Amino acid sequence: MAYHNRSGLAIWKFFLALSGMVFLCWACQDDEICEDITANDLRIGFYLTDQDDTQWTVVDSLRVFSLEQPDTPVYEHLTSVSILELPLNPAANGCAFVIDFYHLTDTLWITYHRETQFISVECGFTMFFELTGVSHTKNHIVSIEETMTYVTNTLDEHLKVFIPDTGNGDEPEPELAGS
Amino acid sequence: MAMSLSLSLQAANDTLFASSVRIGMDVSGFARQFVEPETIFREVSLDVEWKHNYFAVLEAGLLDINVEKETHRYQADGYYIRIGADFNILGRSPEAPNDLVLLAVRYGFSTLGHEAPFIVIPDAYWGDYQTSVEAENYRAHWIEAGIGLKTELWHNIFIGWNLRGRLLLHNTREPEMEPYFIGGFGKAGGNTSLMLHYHIYYRIPFR
Repeated sequence: MAYHNRSGLAIWKFFLALSGMVFLCWACQDDEICEDITANDLRIGFYLTDQDDTQWTVVDSLRVFSLEQPDTPVYEHLTSVSILELPLNPAANGCAFVIDFYHLTDTLWITYHRETQFISVECGFTMFFELTGVSHTKNHIVSIEETMTYVTNTLDEHLKVFIPDTGNGDEPEPELAGS
Repeated sequence: MAMSLSLSLQAANDTLFASSVRIGMDVSGFARQFVEPETIFREVSLDVEWKHNYFAVLEAGLLDINVEKETHRYQADGYYIRIGADFNILGRSPEAPNDLVLLAVRYGFSTLGHEAPFIVIPDAYWGDYQTSVEAENYRAHWIEAGIGLKTELWHNIFIGWNLRGRLLLHNTREPEMEPYFIGGFGKAGGNTSLMLHYHIYYRIPFR
């Protein structure tokens, strides 16, 4: 690389210094949203047993509460649900949820290891989970497949819940039931 | 005449190699502290041109984090070193014989102690969960590669930046808490990191 004259060299050096400063400022950007990066819900997708497991189905309506706090519903009356987000108990190594499909009710027991995670100075800590076991009653739920072991702040689906086709399910538009 | 003199100088630079020593300071730690006053990083470097366009490099730094918020307290302190080499891929011109474009390889080691004596994890359904993590030590080893620039602003005063990609080789297994930052490596939580450093250097004039 050759420099044709001193002014060209000075410009190049100025650009070098400036580009470094710009990169440095860019690297310092911290546009995190605490609610998003500390979210750690267990994500459950609903599927039909006799269809492929790449296409969600729609549950017409349901309500969810935990066995530990039965008087405090997680969701009271959700309609048209394809994905359910359930909050795992950060104070215990397991919890259980009752999913009331209105005509039938199933209980889901989940056990896990907990890992305290420092997210950032501003957002503080959250809890990540490693699933160690999932069991359920089979009143309406046919089976459950674990697709992701680690429950962190990503938007991954962790469990596939297979339910029978009651004849009401149509091709769904994915809909999220968030807490 | 001027061209001939220039060529002569170039040839002299190529044949009369003299080793040089340069000391530097990473000022990106100051920039980060400006944005996040709770985190303090200080890093100095030493490089020696032991062979024409080949530099042996030692980088060392300190880490000090002290966070006190309404929902959490976190403290960490430690140190790190990186050793390796730079290779200059820029031809030396007579106008700027000391400017460099460098390819870098490093091995890094970091050790730190950290604790979180007060943590509240808010949860809308289960209620706030209060916990703490006792003091523990953490170590990490990694390799890194990168590219960087150094340019001489004024007599023996240099500035430069470099971009480094890092790959964690080994770390403390299953710590109770992953550190927020691994000194010299970057944010913990993954096996890789990418960081930009901005340096100011002084070359000790031996000749």
